[in-house]
Amino acid sequence: MKFNKKDDGSYELDVTGYVCPHPQLYTLKCMDKLNEGMVMEVLVDNPSSVESITQACSGKGYTILDTNHPKAGVTAMKIQK
Amino acid sequence: MAEATSSSRNKIYALGVVGFLAILSILYYLAAPVYLYIVVYMWFGFLYGVLQQYGRFCFASAWRDLIMVKVPRMFVGIMIGLMTLSIISAWLFVQYPAFYHPSPIGPHELVGGLLFGLGMVFAGGCATGSLYKTGEGNMISLTVLLSLSFAQAIFVALPFFDTWMSKLSVTGPNSITDTTDPNYIANVFHWPKWTLVEKIFPLTEDQVNQGVHHSFWQNFVANSLLNTIVIAAILMIGVYIIVVRKNFLKRRKAAMTQSADGGEVKMGFGDEVAGFWSMISSSKRTTIAAVLLGIIAAIQVFTMSWMRDNYDFGHPPYAQGDPVEILNQTGNFGQVFALTNPNDPNSRPTANKDAAPTSWPAADPGDVTKGGRMFDPGYWYITTQEAMFAGWIMNGVLPQSITGDLKAPHVNEKVDPTTHEVVAPEPEQNGNRYFGNDNGLPKPWNSPALLLSFGLILGASFLALWNKEFKWKFPTRELFFYAVLGGTIMGIGSRIALGCNIGAFYTRAAFGSPGGWLFFIGMGAGAYISAKAVNYLANKKMAKQMEDMDFDIEL
Repeated sequence: MKFNKKDDGSYELDVTGYVCPHPQLYTLKCMDKLNEGMVMEVLVDNPSSVESITQACSGKGYTILDTNHPKAGVTAMKIQK
Repeated sequence: MAEATSSSRNKIYALGVVGFLAILSILYYLAAPVYLYIVVYMWFGFLYGVLQQYGRFCFASAWRDLIMVKVPRMFVGIMIGLMTLSIISAWLFVQYPAFYHPSPIGPHELVGGLLFGLGMVFAGGCATGSLYKTGEGNMISLTVLLSLSFAQAIFVALPFFDTWMSKLSVTGPNSITDTTDPNYIANVFHWPKWTLVEKIFPLTEDQVNQGVHHSFWQNFVANSLLNTIVIAAILMIGVYIIVVRKNFLKRRKAAMTQSADGGEVKMGFGDEVAGFWSMISSSKRTTIAAVLLGIIAAIQVFTMSWMRDNYDFGHPPYAQGDPVEILNQTGNFGQVFALTNPNDPNSRPTANKDAAPTSWPAADPGDVTKGGRMFDPGYWYITTQEAMFAGWIMNGVLPQSITGDLKAPHVNEKVDPTTHEVVAPEPEQNGNRYFGNDNGLPKPWNSPALLLSFGLILGASFLALWNKEFKWKFPTRELFFYAVLGGTIMGIGSRIALGCNIGAFYTRAAFGSPGGWLFFIGMGAGAYISAKAVNYLANKKMAKQMEDMDFDIEL
């Protein structure tokens, strides 16, 4: 698990290699730390976690700005608090 | 261009998986046409794998994600799948009244469920979820599967297993030493066995003797409506109220207020319905997969039952007199494979020998029970065949002084007539009731249910490759520890409950056995405990990693 600051108000969380429940757990814990309006990009390679993160963001009212696949099996989700 | 090439390559690999299974199917058929029975199991496994991968369908997340990240998609998905299967099963019970042999109901389901739930959060997946995730290239899930399989095999081979189980169970009304008692088999295991329809609409002895069975509506009202739909609906409403409602209504009210230009907005019953529907439809792929899994599970029951009739499997002549023989021949499931000798038609213990296939070619005495049967649940089932696989390896690799004779029928069991306690047999006579007597210990390639598990892995591989979601993933030390710990605890829980999240909960609850819900409640309690533990460890890990970081936010 790697949590890095990319820019002002922009963060990156790399949870590749992890299985459930860690990616969704770390994503929400890190999002909790952000201030309103900040953006975090999550890198995850566990398909079921992508589904859970999507649902959790919807429940929390976070916006998923973009979802793409930088390489096979990896999903990058840009989430705004 | 490179993207397109990689995508085509993935699709070719995906088709390669289908081609491999097709060739395997042909080889089975060429070995013996009767092996189509195994092939059909394998392709049902394939369909389960495809649908589970599509829906990210894992029972572990039902409780875990609900507790840890407040996501109800899987909890809801399971309830919807359960209701679907249950409704169709009311009709299946009319067509094939004996397709389901009710499991014993007792506290072992609660205890087994608790352990299973405890393990599945650490493991990161349930029994069937770990199969489909293995198909995605996830070797952490494979570690879970192996741990789960060997933990089961070792646990049931321990000399105190039977004694333990008898302590967990509810003592039956009659003496378990009275072999003339018609309830002898149920009493041996101490637990009552029935589906709800048998309690609500009991049949008279005359009706039973005349072969009368319950009607569709009786099955529907008792097994589907009362045992499944009402309970599932109550649970979903509970999840809506506790987890979804507050945030949904808050957001809806804000949106409505905005569109009403700040005017007062009143929330009513219609908004509650909209909130409930949003919970069900929030993850379309999970809900679609749930409905289709329920339908496929029902089609499997129909197909296997139809094939059994067609091949004349599953009609053993119930031996009279010898209780061990009776026990062997009725078993827990439709254990249909006769130990046959192609040169001796009398060796086929089927009701209609002429109609029976000439033989189950590769069966040998080690493959089957003393009564000549092989484990064959006839519906979606997961962990037992994997335990048998591990048992088969242990039997082949380890000296008998360690394993006992896993294949031997458990005929040496002694029961204290006063306390009704099972007295463990002498070590050298340690036949194993779990393997030898009830299930046999077949070679993996002869075990229909194991081919279902195998097909499930490859079904998930097919879809994951097709959609470019396949990725080899190997465990770190931390994840290896979680996988072994979780898999082992799940394995022990599965054996105590006589099934996993599928056999002890999903099919059990859908087919009218209230005990399935005991397992589900136990699962929830176990998941709650381990979710707290995983959460604590995650907090520690985060704090350690971030302590030296310079953020512009408060950590």
